[in-house]
Amino acid sequence: MKRISLFLAALLVAGCSAGSTASAPRDPNAITIGFSAEPANFDFTRTDGTAIPQALLYNVYEGLVKLDENGQVKPLLAESWRVSPDRLSYEFSLRANASFSNGSPFTADNVKFSIERVKTTWGISQKSKMDVVSRVEVLAPTKVRVTLSRPSNNWLFDMTTRVGAMFSPDGVADLPNNPVGTGPYDVAARNRGSSITLKANPRYWGPKPAYETVYLRYFKDSTALNNALLSNGIDVVSAVAAPDSMPQFENDTRFNVTQGITNGEVVLSFNGRKAPLNDVRVRRALTQGIDRRVLLDTAWAGRGELIGSMVPRTDPWYTDLTGVNAYNPENAKKLLAEAGQQNLNLRLRIPNLPYAVTSAQVVKSELNKIGVGVSIEPLDFPAVWLKSVFTEHDFDMSIIQHVEPRDITTFGNTKYYWGYDSPKVRRLLAEGDRGSPEQQVTAMREVAATLADDAAACWLFLFPNLIAAKKKVGGLPLNQISEAFDLTILRRAGS
Amino acid sequence: MTLAVRRSSSPSLWVGLGLVGLVVVTALASFLWTPHDPTLVDAAQRLRGPGTDYVFGTDKFGRDLFSQVMVGARTTLFVGVVAVGVAALIGTPLGVFAAMAPKWLGEFVMRVNDLVLAFPALLLAIVFGAVFGADTLTAMIAIGIASVPSFARIARSGALGVMSTEYVLAARSAGRSRTAIAVRHVLPNIAGLVIVQSSVSFAIAVLSEAALSFLGFGTRPPTPSWGRMLQESQELLAVEPRLALVPGVAIAIAVLGFNLLGDGLRDRYDPRLEVRR
Repeated sequence: MKRISLFLAALLVAGCSAGSTASAPRDPNAITIGFSAEPANFDFTRTDGTAIPQALLYNVYEGLVKLDENGQVKPLLAESWRVSPDRLSYEFSLRANASFSNGSPFTADNVKFSIERVKTTWGISQKSKMDVVSRVEVLAPTKVRVTLSRPSNNWLFDMTTRVGAMFSPDGVADLPNNPVGTGPYDVAARNRGSSITLKANPRYWGPKPAYETVYLRYFKDSTALNNALLSNGIDVVSAVAAPDSMPQFENDTRFNVTQGITNGEVVLSFNGRKAPLNDVRVRRALTQGIDRRVLLDTAWAGRGELIGSMVPRTDPWYTDLTGVNAYNPENAKKLLAEAGQQNLNLRLRIPNLPYAVTSAQVVKSELNKIGVGVSIEPLDFPAVWLKSVFTEHDFDMSIIQHVEPRDITTFGNTKYYWGYDSPKVRRLLAEGDRGSPEQQVTAMREVAATLADDAAACWLFLFPNLIAAKKKVGGLPLNQISEAFDLTILRRAGS
Repeated sequence: MTLAVRRSSSPSLWVGLGLVGLVVVTALASFLWTPHDPTLVDAAQRLRGPGTDYVFGTDKFGRDLFSQVMVGARTTLFVGVVAVGVAALIGTPLGVFAAMAPKWLGEFVMRVNDLVLAFPALLLAIVFGAVFGADTLTAMIAIGIASVPSFARIARSGALGVMSTEYVLAARSAGRSRTAIAVRHVLPNIAGLVIVQSSVSFAIAVLSEAALSFLGFGTRPPTPSWGRMLQESQELLAVEPRLALVPGVAIAIAVLGFNLLGDGLRDRYDPRLEVRR
């Protein structure tokens, strides 16, 4: 029965159109931005994935705090906050002049409503980020106190993500189609399979955004997305997914190109639940058998950064761990011999996404050199990969980009798809969350170092943030480390 | 022009045979020798232009294009054999059965056949790939199934013609079984038609594999396939057009070869053409 429904779903997907082709409207107050993943609806409280918060967070919805492009937590709907000495309660002073796009004023009651709603009504796994909240008290219309059940450094950071978005009780009736937030933009139109139109919210409490109208256009194919910019169809490519094509923008005087970093660690994951990958010697051998510089240079045109663990440069506990289990094919062969795995054959089951398919071919070629056989199996993404690899754990190795901020904590979850189980890492993660911010940095550094030494996974590279845009667009974000594509920082070049 | 002269000098046949022969020889040679390992990633040789070391240059992984084209020829022939095999082995008996069965049953079989014909072959292959996993064999079985109706139609029309001949009537009145008549009289007489259809279907299968690999539903990486070479060249089209040109020309040669061979064989075997002459 499952197979039949999958069959029907595949038929439906195959019948959908490939993306938008029309050219950008010529309104000087409008900007058109091209993306690759389209939101299925507007309700990120019940639908997983990054496409919805990418379009709506900070633009339509706002939280008390936001994450800037350097990884710092900054005030947004909260003007300021005070943390109690025991670090259990946070008292926020709210902006008095903020209101929702449906006209309701934004008050402390909305904060209580929104936080409690995450715990009662949200349907995605990220709702557990609010488990640590024990009480929300309204002290005054612009004062609210949040009490935690234990000190948590992660909580305020998590408030910068979608779980921190503020809702109004009279604006949640039809979230999939009609989002109501306090942000600078409001959803004006949606053309399924093609585009979303955002219009400036006239009631917005903050500075007016540089562009009155923003068209978000969606393209399934990276080449089509690039061509849309080359042929004047859009003004910005939000993320160039074909890095070898960057020279065509760099060598063209019409465009600006930026290259920064993202949160996306491209990980060669090992299934630690079963032999032989539950043997640390085998995991170290595989990691040492892959020259990650060669992989980055060939698979992603050398754009991106090498990381030795699950930490991007923008996290406070970043240290360079690329020297741990560094490329050493001779030692890798020795380790395999020690483990009695000279005739190893592994299934590399990957999503059929460009970065995974190209990286897999380099991984196979590199591992063949140390005598490990690899068979690459591309799976339809997301449906088949999520079901087979992520849920049913039917794989030896996989390659996927982990995009959530500070997702190093997933190594503390023994049920996660890679089945990594280390009491030491779990203890350090808990200590880091509970301790002072300084203690957190120390603990998290140790987590990262332990994971690298344990070869819990092989971190291939950190995905680059490649943006190509017309010269008239300024203020492009260098780094993309939050869940949102923040439209409020865009400006007109020269202004 | 006499029939004999026309038969022996059909240029389509010879040019087609030459091009197909080139593909077959290349594929066979690749089992014995290729200039480089076609799947070995070598960052130092990335995107090299054509030269003495690398006849067609290298791709973005530093792999030799010429070696990939050689091994890709194997994939091309394999897909053709599988797809045509599936289509001919199911379609031909089905068509003969439809011709020999009672009229209502024959009509029923052919209408079901029309239903399959109405379903786009590539879409069927993509669905198979999504459900059973992307793979050359899966994709080609799907393409083969989608090609069954064309074989069934050809076989049925040929068989109907044979069924009305005097020697079949004689065999029937002598009490020979339907199966015996089908095997002894019908199949040998429609073999020419099926061979012609096979060469045309072969060309279609080669194109389908290229299209499916281009879409990511065909041959698994890193097994060389002309379609996937084309796909990988896509993002470099503006920078390195050579990467698209090489597999593109290879596909064109193979498809042209099989089509010309089909034309040439039809000139030889199609009974309708002989009657006109």
